[in-house]
Amino acid sequence: MIEVHLRQPLSEFELNVDFRSEAPVLGIFGRSGSGKSTLLHGVAGILRPKQERIVLNGIPLAQRPGGRRLAPEKRGLALIPQDPLLFPHLSTYANLVYAPGAKNVFHSERGRSILEVLRLDSLLQRNPESLSGGERQRVACGRALLAQPRMLLLDEPASSVDAELAREFLTLLLEAKRVLKVPMIFVTHRASELLALADDCLVLEKGRVVAQGPPVQVLARPTQIGIANLLGVDNLMRLPVLEHDPEGGISFFDLGGVALVAPLCAAAPGEEVDLGIYAEDLILCERKPEKISARNALPARISNLERIGNEFLVGLQIGRAELYSRVTPSARKEMDLKPGKELVVLIKTTACHLLNP
Amino acid sequence: MPSAAEWQVLALAARIAAAAVLLSFLPALLLAWVLARRSFRGKALLQGFIMLPLVMPPVVTGYLLLTFLGRSSFIGRSWFALTGHHLAYSTTACVLAAAVVGFPLLVEAIRLSLLGVDPRLESVSRSLGRGPTFTFIRITLPLALPGLLGGAVLSFTRALGEFGATMIFAGNIEGETRQIPLAVYTLLNLPGSETAVMRLTLLSIALSLSALLFMAWLTARHRQRSGRS
Repeated sequence: MIEVHLRQPLSEFELNVDFRSEAPVLGIFGRSGSGKSTLLHGVAGILRPKQERIVLNGIPLAQRPGGRRLAPEKRGLALIPQDPLLFPHLSTYANLVYAPGAKNVFHSERGRSILEVLRLDSLLQRNPESLSGGERQRVACGRALLAQPRMLLLDEPASSVDAELAREFLTLLLEAKRVLKVPMIFVTHRASELLALADDCLVLEKGRVVAQGPPVQVLARPTQIGIANLLGVDNLMRLPVLEHDPEGGISFFDLGGVALVAPLCAAAPGEEVDLGIYAEDLILCERKPEKISARNALPARISNLERIGNEFLVGLQIGRAELYSRVTPSARKEMDLKPGKELVVLIKTTACHLLNP
Repeated sequence: MPSAAEWQVLALAARIAAAAVLLSFLPALLLAWVLARRSFRGKALLQGFIMLPLVMPPVVTGYLLLTFLGRSSFIGRSWFALTGHHLAYSTTACVLAAAVVGFPLLVEAIRLSLLGVDPRLESVSRSLGRGPTFTFIRITLPLALPGLLGGAVLSFTRALGEFGATMIFAGNIEGETRQIPLAVYTLLNLPGSETAVMRLTLLSIALSLSALLFMAWLTARHRQRSGRS
């Protein structure tokens, strides 16, 4: 259980957060510059915020003004920074056993499982400078885990590697969560990471917590256009399964009274499944086209329209559900898109991503 | 081969320069760390103050040393009461003069090399449970080592060339304070000593060059080592 109150003026706004979370893995979500890294560094004790109150599992780490403040090395929180910073003058092994007591952990049962989960054995003989980005990230993660932290703090752990490596690293983190059961706080701007890893999440905008709750819940209802924007306007939904068509390779979902066709999933009818659709995958048409591969041609009504940068974000009412599409100003002009207009939304089955199949 | 008298001058010069570096190294390291890693009010003033010996005429530095550490000063008298020796006009005075004049170079070289060490590495070390002292010794120092060595060699060679402050504060006493520049100066005042001056000049060049080569060797070794580890 972690409880954080933190205030720190930043260059353009003030970071002012107040939250508590019981979740094993807490995700902090926000765009870059929202103050999420500052928050993480404040919790780690690397930063000295103007005002802070941090309590971890009932033990106060910092209480200022008016109280004590534990130095970062006394907090039992291991930080994994954005770039996988290994100590360049130490060998990979020396990096791994850097923390006090890490040598003993390294040779213990627990150490074995850490090496296994992160697949570190093959890297031990290598020089840190010869490691790739993904390999460094694994070593940095192993180094933090061997420190036996009470909580792991990850600052955009996969942002410095390409998308494929990021997915791979995410799998490793999931494995670490499942096998090693280390509590974590991680900062990210990727909704997919949040959904995959976090049990609880905070959405941070301009230094404030604008939403907190289970990721699916928070992300599925972009109550504010700000969150929708943060999400890259992904359409995230938790929908009940209606029925399956195994031969056709599709399942039907209840999208607020309208049937949505998505790839075949394993959940039984009546169970709920999380789905994500990128806003750019929603095609708008005046009329329902004939003989088209997209399985979904759903009647919709424009509920709102907002210009964001060089695009229009179109809010669509489909049944009782609300989805977002993204179009260019040219498309908006030609189709004369405006709130209240009725049209048909085309969605390819394969554009409906099952998030926890 | 250098004559006995030349050996005396060279050995004295090397001893004084080495002692000056040893004396100023820890304070320089401390100040450089403060300047590189802390922000506080009056930092620019402190930095300017440290740089003063570099921009002041060395003779003025020597005069100030004489004023504050000379025989009639409070510190000078206390030192005499404590040790039975005078500070001014001694080998110790040479060391002090060389240390003071070389101090800004040393601080600046160390400061720059500390700035070159990513402070996030220190943060990571701290969050892994290592305290500030351990972090400094195990992470910061080794990574800043080439700069530290460079600073030491720079202030060593600066000490070898020290003339103005030494002349005023330590005098020109054969075997005690007469290092290379003072010996050259003394010889220049003697008629017919051109050969002796040239010999000393060449020896001086050889000594300074050896110091620089030694540093290059150390740096190369360090690089090779950290590359292998």
